[in-house]
This record gives sequence, C-alpha cells and structure tokens, in this order.
Amino acid sequence: MSEVIIENVTKKFGKNVVLDNINLKIDAKEFFVLLGPSGSGKTTLLRLIAGLEEITSGSIYIGGRKVNNMSPKERNVAMVFQNYALYPHMNVYENIALPLKVRHLSDDQVREKVKSISAVLHIEDILDKKPGQISGGQQQRVALARALVRDPSVFLLDEPLSNLDAKLRVEARVFLKKLQKEVGITTIFVTHDQAEALTMATKIAVLNKGVITQVGDPYELYRRPNDIFTAGFVGSPAMNMMRGKIRRSYSGSGWMFVNDDISLDLNGIEPNGEEREIFMGIRPEHIKLVESGSGGIDSTVFAVEPLGSVTYITVNVGKTQLILQHLGEIKLDVGSSIKIQLDLNSLLFYDVTSGKRLSTN
Amino acid sequence: MKIKITSIIVLIILAIVSLIYLFPIYWTLVTALKNSLQIFTYPPIFFPTKITLSNFYTPGNVFGAVSQTAVGSIPWMIDSTIVAIIATLLSTILIAAPAAYSLVRYIKSIWFGRLILFMTMIPEAVFVVPFFLIVAKINLLNTWWGLIIVYISFTAPFATWLLMGFFNDIPKSVEEAAQIDGLSPFQIFYKISLRLVTPGIIAALVLNFISCWNELLYALVITYSPFPSGAQTVPIFLTSFIIVEKSFAWGGLAAAGIFTMLPTIILGIFAQKYLARGLTMGAVKG
Repeated sequence: MSEVIIENVTKKFGKNVVLDNINLKIDAKEFFVLLGPSGSGKTTLLRLIAGLEEITSGSIYIGGRKVNNMSPKERNVAMVFQNYALYPHMNVYENIALPLKVRHLSDDQVREKVKSISAVLHIEDILDKKPGQISGGQQQRVALARALVRDPSVFLLDEPLSNLDAKLRVEARVFLKKLQKEVGITTIFVTHDQAEALTMATKIAVLNKGVITQVGDPYELYRRPNDIFTAGFVGSPAMNMMRGKIRRSYSGSGWMFVNDDISLDLNGIEPNGEEREIFMGIRPEHIKLVESGSGGIDSTVFAVEPLGSVTYITVNVGKTQLILQHLGEIKLDVGSSIKIQLDLNSLLFYDVTSGKRLSTN
Repeated sequence: MKIKITSIIVLIILAIVSLIYLFPIYWTLVTALKNSLQIFTYPPIFFPTKITLSNFYTPGNVFGAVSQTAVGSIPWMIDSTIVAIIATLLSTILIAAPAAYSLVRYIKSIWFGRLILFMTMIPEAVFVVPFFLIVAKINLLNTWWGLIIVYISFTAPFATWLLMGFFNDIPKSVEEAAQIDGLSPFQIFYKISLRLVTPGIIAALVLNFISCWNELLYALVITYSPFPSGAQTVPIFLTSFIIVEKSFAWGGLAAAGIFTMLPTIILGIFAQKYLARGLTMGAVKG
C-alpha cells in the first residue's frame, strides 16, 4: 500500500523555518494537491517526501516504512519537475529507459515497458527525438512516461502545468486526472493555481508560510474555508471581504453587520460568539443585481468585465468595493447606480484577530 | 540608414583588427617562401613573385653557417605531440572534470573557484626552479613524464576553472531527476553531467593543448635533448634558429615556424565553435 504520512515535520534552512510542524495523511491512490502561494513551503514539502532535502525534525512514512534516511531511489518515488528535467543529450526512448537500465532490467524488458508506457501517453512516434526537438506538451508527456515507467509507489509533481500555454494547460489537467485514475497511483501535486487544485484534486491541503491552513476536498475548501487566508486564496475572482462589526440588531432580535458603508440585517443567521470586529466574506456568485424598488443596497458601478458566458461587475458601496458575478451579458455604464443584494445564507464570518471562521446557526 | 553606417564602421574595425592579428602569420609564411636575398631586401617584399620551398627541407645557408630545416623538426614534434596530448588528457579529463564537478555541486564555495583562477595567473618564472628541483629529484629530467607532470600543474587549474562555469550551468533539476531515477552520484556525474559539458571539455582540451605545445620556459629547464634520447619540445627547436653566426636564420626559422604551427592551427579550426563558447563562458562566470 502506498499511503504517505507526514508526522510533525519541520524544515529549517539555517534559522529560516520553511515548514512548521506539518501533519498530513495522504491515502493510497489519492490525487492530493498541495496548494499555496510562492514561498509557502509546498515545493519544499514535496522535496522532503522525494528525499531531495533532509528533514530537520519529524518523520515521513511511505507505505508504512519510515523513509527519513532513505535515498530517493530507495523510496521508490517518481517525480516530474516544473521544467521536466529531461536528459537533453539522450533521445526520448533513452530518457524513459534510463530508470529501468539503472535497475538492471534486460534490454527486452526495458523495450517492452518503454513501449507500453509510450502508448499510454501517445508518444510512440517521437521515441527517437531529443528533448530539444519536441514541443512543451510532448516534453511533459515524456517526463510523465519516465516517471511512471517503473511503477513507483508515489508520484510527485511539482507545478508541471505552469510551463504550458493556457489552452494546453486545460487539456493537460483533464488528461492528468484521467491518467492518474487509470494508473491508480498515489499522487501528490504541487501548485499555486487554485483552479488546477479545485479541478484535479480529491483532497487539497492549503499551505501558507510553512503552515497548513486547511485540508479538505475541493467542495469543502470552496464552500467552507476555515480561515481568512484560505477564503481569499481559493476561488477566482477572490471572495469579497468586508471588514466591520457584528452586533445584535437594534430591535433586539437577530444580528446585524455594520461598517461605515453597509448596515445589513442578518435575519436569522446567528454567528457564534460575542459582538466583535470581523471580516464578512461572500463570493461573487452570491451577490445579485436587483430591480430598483425592492430593497437592496445602493451601489455605483466601478468596472464591467464581460467574459461572454458571465459578466463580472465591480461596484462601490461607499468605500467598500465588491465584485459580483452576473450570468450572461449585461450592459451597464460605469458610474451608474444599481442595487445589489447579498445571499445571506452564503455569508462567511472571520474573526479579525485570529482569522478563523465563526460558525453560524 | 543609421544602422548601415554603424555596421560599416564595425566591419572596418574588425577588418583592421583581423589584419593586425593575421599579419604576423602571413609575414612568417611569406618569409618562409623567400630566399635569403629577398628576406634582407629593403623595402620589404610583401608579395613575392618568386617563391622557394628550400627553407623547408634544405639546410639554410646564412653567412656561411648551416642551420636546421623545417623538416628537421620532426623529433621535437614527436616530443611535443606526446607530451601535449598526454598532459592535456590527464589534466582535463582525469583531474579537472571531476574537480570542477565536485567544486560546483558538493563544495559549493566561490572562494575555492577564485583561488584556482588565481593560481592560473601566477607567472611561470616563479615555479621554474622548484619544478626543476622536483623533477630532478625524481629522476625525470629530460623525459616525457617530467614535462607532463609540470604541464599538468598549470593545465589542470585552468581546465578546472573553465569547467566550473559549464557545470554550474547544468540545471540542478536534471541531476535531481537522475537521483530520483536511481543513479549513484558517480553515475550522475559520468552519464549525465559530464555529457552535458562537452563544449567545455573540448574548449579546455584545445586550449590546454595549445599552451602545452607553445610552452618554452619549463621545457628549456627540464629537457636537454630531443627524441629519442630526450624530450625537448618544438619551441626549443625553434630557438636553434636564433643564433647562427651572430644572425638569425630567418628563412629556416619562418619555415620551421609554419611547419610547427600547423597542428595547433588545425586543432583551432576544428574546435572553433567550442572555443568561442568556452572563452566567453569564462569571461561571464569566474
């Protein structure tokens, strides 16, 4: 079985703490994504699992074995690097064959395995070419072939899609996800692109500054981000965040949200805890335009971004700026006044000091 | 229009510089093909109408004295060739390549690299006496190995410094991929990294060969007779043209010069593109 357990792992470079007490459990055959901005430590964590860096403290287990002191070869992991790291002086066949030759397989066995993985990845026709002679997409598939040809227990990928152009990236996402399911291998995928994480992962761990902020499946992370960093990082366009106070409403029953620009009755939603300063978050798709006359919040149009199937409208409510998502096309003049309404059931509340989400009833 | 003028100026400058560099070789060639009368004529003849090949194979006759011929250089050529080839191969491939690789990947200290570069700048004269004493002590005076050891002392650091730049250019991820694929550190060096610095190796081999071939000072001190009894090299042979009855045997010297220049010229032409990369690489790194 090839599950990966990361136990209390800390990594320091000199005095610099890059990873702080990480604990993760990655199940066998899972497509696990490490998501985070640059400098969050996600690539370092991947390299620790691979064995390319040494752990400062803590342990890593692969398939039940403690691998702290094992070389990458002994760990039986395979890795695809961001720049693919193909051997430039060897042709595609030799690139894929090398890991097998090192393990002293016979020429016939090598040929068989290389041919079969090349078929899976549709690269049979470029086996005699050198990496410099093939396209980026083809290079990526060669890198995948080289990694998978030896049936590793864990498959590690370090931002393998960032070097592809946008269209190819979308195709590669679908391809990789299908491939992983077909081959059935435990996969750990590092990216800073939240769209990649959401579309491909069975589970995501969000990292920020060396610490895990949340672990969960894509839906959980999107609907119930546990802290303000995750809320702002997952989802594009980013979640709207309004700073203000939650307090009991003037009438005595129920709560309300108040800041300099907005005074919103929460109507039955009850955040747990006392009155306090918070960030109130709402995703663009949960803000609607409403006809004038039926209540709603007054706002001024700041920008309109038509994307064909959807239009993003940025509005100003006093000093607060919000983005809302409108399905389809709409013609609006910048500077015009419109009314918006927030879906109260989709509101998320985050404590200003701790950044943690407040649960609601 | 502006572009055209600058490129014309550049062309003119390049032409002038090329002329300055190539003229001595041209003059040597022309001198080698003149007889003694033409050589001493004033004003000098730049484009001789009558040429002779006698300087190449007939002992020259200058003021009644007999000097060497170009073809007579062969015993010295043998010494030079063997010493240069062995010294270059040993220093570049056996010593410099592994040294450069470990300095770049394992020791990772800039200062070590700078120290090595510094060593290549020390004037030869500093080491002449120490080297003589050492080679004499181990009974290798006037032998190929005596010279080879001494030549390795300056070719190895130079090649190491040159190759450090090349090894540094290899993306670490390629070597890490090899590590994950299961290659041992030595296998990574031999199968991957070494293959990727081939231009650097060739540049180092050619440049080292040329400096061994042209080396005079150490050879003068360490050798005293040519092949087969000793290991005197070509530059020493050329000095025998210098004093011939209080004059220079110009014709013979020029002919011998052309003859002994040939190996290095041929090498240089062959390795042209590698040399350009090798030299500019050194200039940018360091």
